[in-house]
Amino acid sequence: MPRQRVLITGISRFWGCELAMRLEADPDVEQIVGVDVREPSRDLARTDFVRADIRHSLIGKLVRALGIDTVVHANLIVDPRRTSARVAHETNVIGTMNLLAACSGADSPVKKLVVKSSTAIYGAEPDDPSFWTEDMTRRKPPGDAFSRDIVEVESYVRDFSLRQRDCTVTTLRFSNVLGPLLQTPFQALFALPVVPTVLGFDPRLQFLHEEDAIEVLYRATAEDHPGVFNVTGPGVVILSQAIKLMGKFNVPVIPPYGGALATAVMRRFGILDWPSHLLQLIQNGRVTDIAKLTGEFGYTPQYSSRETVEDFAAKHKVRDLLAEQSRYTYEKDLEEFLQRKGARGRKAVDLEVTPAR
Amino acid sequence: MSFTDLPDAEAVPGRVGNGRSRAALHLVDEVVSGGVRRGRGVPPGAVDLRRRLLSLQRAADGELRRRGVVQLPRPPRVAMPGQTVRDAFANLPGFPNLLRMPDRQRLQQELPMQLMGALGQLAITLRERTGRDVIDLESLQDLMSVAFRAVELRRNHNQGRYTLDGFGFDPEYTDVLMPLAKLVYRKYWRVDTTGVRNVPRRGSALLVSNHAGVLPYDGAMIKVALFEEGVDRHARALIADWFFGMPGLSWLLRRTGQTLGHPDDTHRLLTSGELVLVFPEGIKGTGKLWSERYRLRRFGRGGFVEAAIRAQAPIVPISVVGSEELYPMFADIRPLAQLTGFPYFPLTPTWPWLGPLGLVPLPSKWRIEFHPPVRTDELPVEAADDPSVVMRVADEVREIIQAGVVSNLMQRRGVFRG
Repeated sequence: MPRQRVLITGISRFWGCELAMRLEADPDVEQIVGVDVREPSRDLARTDFVRADIRHSLIGKLVRALGIDTVVHANLIVDPRRTSARVAHETNVIGTMNLLAACSGADSPVKKLVVKSSTAIYGAEPDDPSFWTEDMTRRKPPGDAFSRDIVEVESYVRDFSLRQRDCTVTTLRFSNVLGPLLQTPFQALFALPVVPTVLGFDPRLQFLHEEDAIEVLYRATAEDHPGVFNVTGPGVVILSQAIKLMGKFNVPVIPPYGGALATAVMRRFGILDWPSHLLQLIQNGRVTDIAKLTGEFGYTPQYSSRETVEDFAAKHKVRDLLAEQSRYTYEKDLEEFLQRKGARGRKAVDLEVTPAR
Repeated sequence: MSFTDLPDAEAVPGRVGNGRSRAALHLVDEVVSGGVRRGRGVPPGAVDLRRRLLSLQRAADGELRRRGVVQLPRPPRVAMPGQTVRDAFANLPGFPNLLRMPDRQRLQQELPMQLMGALGQLAITLRERTGRDVIDLESLQDLMSVAFRAVELRRNHNQGRYTLDGFGFDPEYTDVLMPLAKLVYRKYWRVDTTGVRNVPRRGSALLVSNHAGVLPYDGAMIKVALFEEGVDRHARALIADWFFGMPGLSWLLRRTGQTLGHPDDTHRLLTSGELVLVFPEGIKGTGKLWSERYRLRRFGRGGFVEAAIRAQAPIVPISVVGSEELYPMFADIRPLAQLTGFPYFPLTPTWPWLGPLGLVPLPSKWRIEFHPPVRTDELPVEAADDPSVVMRVADEVREIIQAGVVSNLMQRRGVFRG
């Protein structure tokens, strides 16, 4: 089997970065190319960073020039808090469209495509089935721009998989990931001293540990698992339970009707930025079935939903220390400094710094 | 001045005439309290001395007063050094001993026992006076146990260290509420249940019942009947998805084991060996008018038969009598229902005129009969895709339930009697 040449989009962000680090340790991977508009947040050893926007057709040339056989599209923005809906639409929908265009065609070297998606595609309505399986679709079309984008992205990916018959297409629908160094909406919610909830609702939720998320993404890249998969920690946690596990209290201040107004007020006063599709989530909840993942991948996420919250709660207490620790691994500035200073300076510092590569 | 120089309390009455002892005491008083007032610090032993002196003085004065020898003003009681303000308050005459309340933990332990004791005493007294049980101690105990177990559960759950099944069912929570439902089952609707031997003790089964009563109490009573009659299994009822959008109900229904009537949910529960309770009439059944009571509606589209065949589970038909007389609903205001989002808007003699009081259901006499199973588990799985088989079985189940309703109505002595 020839060694893999992998292209990762969204390398500057957690998913792309962690996956690249995982792939670097894999001898079966020949080359890793990271594409993003910003530099990676961590120092990567043998990953080549290309500053390029996936919204431009440049990607097609890159793929063909390097003979990329595996493309991991980890650039899907599912957190609407830091990106405006328009920018997210450009990156998610137009970016995906462009990337898929670059990978398609008879002369395309791409044999595998892994797309990071979200369980947000199912929505969260009171009349939803208790467990979502991959073949179910929501009854009502999504009401907000972000969910619409995700539906659109997946439809492009589905079209691509029908068009490129010889390409293995894996779509991973991740649930809410928790990790001490991530910035997810749920973590912002749990970080509040008292957690606002919707009056009269206590939904079932699922969480995914960051290690499991990367493991599944890695396995999808390294192995062949065509199809759509729900990825989440087994079991459920109800919102009030998660809040208790975090050692917090919940206050049901969001009214069951017109909750969007309440969240708008909270946003106005800078308490919490809580997007509307997540408001539905903490009102009605969402649980997905991971039987297909367990069956096809032969891997069940190691942390259950509850254990994910427990682990996060423990790490949340020391998150400042963890953040400092991760900062120490950032040696890029030092490397550049040494290169600028020449051999003499380099020798002097080399004794103290363990080489990263 | 040494203490031995002072007269004994017993000796005082004899020297009343000259008042020397009082003068001596007063002197001591002056010295000690004066010293304190001037801020020179309390000499060692002075506090103890003063306390003993005061007690002596009080004893002496009391004696004098009793004998009517002399009218003396009561000595002022002041906070003394070495005494907290709290103690001083506690010593004041007539001041309720509020500050010496037992701590919260002891109160929590003792109060229920005291209350139970008092109530038991009251029950016995009332029985002696009136000659019959005014207070039903057994029911009372049930209620108390609900309260206690709720507190206990709350304590356990406060850490968040519990695991619910994927549907959000919490058996512990349900068990806490169960005595309450049992009370209603026994005392309010006086339910007579027959044929529970038809419910399998293990493995899955689809319980199918008629549905009525504006509010779905029949589901709760069927669930309780299984526990009252010794089946001891939780039936998982499938509820109209509309309820899961209602505040409060949305989580309570799930916590007590209900889920919505989605085919996938039904299949999941049945294949994991659960008892599943369905009402194929759905909202058409609960929203019936009083004049249409005990006339079964259409049984959906036979989806329940399909689910049973697919999961290879038998169908146990159930006839419920009594549930249809809970609210005499004489009209359904459609526009109001549409406006409020309710599936129907009933008018009864009490609702909505009396507000929440109109929600109290009538104490009708109930009968629940579990019929012998219809063997859908013996049909081939492919039969689930054959509409002719599905509709035939659905009709068969409906006939059994309708016949059961009629026979139970005949056996019942009256709507409210029995």
